[in-house]
Amino acid sequence: MDCAVRPLGPSRERFAAFATTGDPALRDQLVTEHLGLAHQLARRFVNRGEALDDLVQVASVALIKSVDRFDPERGVEFSTFATRTIIGELKRHFRDKGWAVRAPRRIQELYLELGHIISSLSQELGRSPTVAELASATGASEEAVLEALEAGQGYRASSIDAGGEGQPEGLSARLGSEDKRFDGVDDRSVLAPALGLLPEREQTILRLRFVDGLTQSEIASQIGVSQMHVSRLLTASLAKLRQAFDDQR
Amino acid sequence: MTSTTDREAGQVGDVIELSLPVAADLLVVVRLTAAAVASRAEFNVEDIEDLRLAVDELCLPLVRSAPEGRLVLRFIRTADSVEITACVDGPEASGGPDAASHDPEDALSAQILDALVDEHGWDGTGSRCWLRKRRSSLPV
Repeated sequence: MDCAVRPLGPSRERFAAFATTGDPALRDQLVTEHLGLAHQLARRFVNRGEALDDLVQVASVALIKSVDRFDPERGVEFSTFATRTIIGELKRHFRDKGWAVRAPRRIQELYLELGHIISSLSQELGRSPTVAELASATGASEEAVLEALEAGQGYRASSIDAGGEGQPEGLSARLGSEDKRFDGVDDRSVLAPALGLLPEREQTILRLRFVDGLTQSEIASQIGVSQMHVSRLLTASLAKLRQAFDDQR
Repeated sequence: MTSTTDREAGQVGDVIELSLPVAADLLVVVRLTAAAVASRAEFNVEDIEDLRLAVDELCLPLVRSAPEGRLVLRFIRTADSVEITACVDGPEASGGPDAASHDPEDALSAQILDALVDEHGWDGTGSRCWLRKRRSSLPV
């Protein structure tokens, strides 16, 4: 697999010669011979919103670095060493640009941006936008959009003992207790007690969604929050109910 | 949804399998799955990014050698690593070490894998390839 790019023998000797002499002509020759590798690796990163030319340039600079730093004594093939160096530089390039290596903050920003774009696109299109439409509107990849949406749902159901909104003592303290507001609810339902413990707004959303059959967008406009917020609240309330249900069994 | 005890109990041994048509544009599903599994294994973002690149290189030789059939992937989370195996289930299934050594694109994929993961290779029969990447360090 190491012979992918160049035959080993002669180039190894020349690397050894370059390591001792530092001959600039030899350096040029070695770099030129391996430009194909830089090019191929750059192409691997091309679907991420960067022009191929820019990527080839980054890869080529990394290749030059590799030639300068390669130690033929270490028993690693140059192509292996260079591949590692070039991929490292390409990744750094994207990271500096804020893409590809998607730091959590970047995902957060994209998620916030998506919130606005989803509402404006929904109005524009008269329907909920697709991921592809969101990707082209934000300039991010579909993959990044999916991840950001997933991160937005990343509500990690706080432990049932953690206090919720206006419920400092936590949910578990009151699970199974009587709740006057829900006297009318069928008390055979195992979910009823838990339902009563959700914040009022979440109860309303659940009712609108599952009893009245409204879409998330319809609920959003009715209660005056974004669709994404409705989505998040739904996920959160369902997680709480599920937890309460599990605990009761 | 995941309580502390759930997480501890599920710490080792997630096995996730995916089966999808052989198509390069479906690799997004594979990448997202790999990222999710690596995230559960508490990989840092850089390692996750490496793994994301690596699954492409793992699958591409299979996709190139077998235009038909289904790509079958298995993701295994161990105590400190993620292992992924891939093979093509179908009449055209071929590929393998011989194909890899002849196709320069496949050789490049192997070289990229060298740079991204700890171990990788083809199994004995040459129809299944695998990689293993270890978590670089525990989050503090």
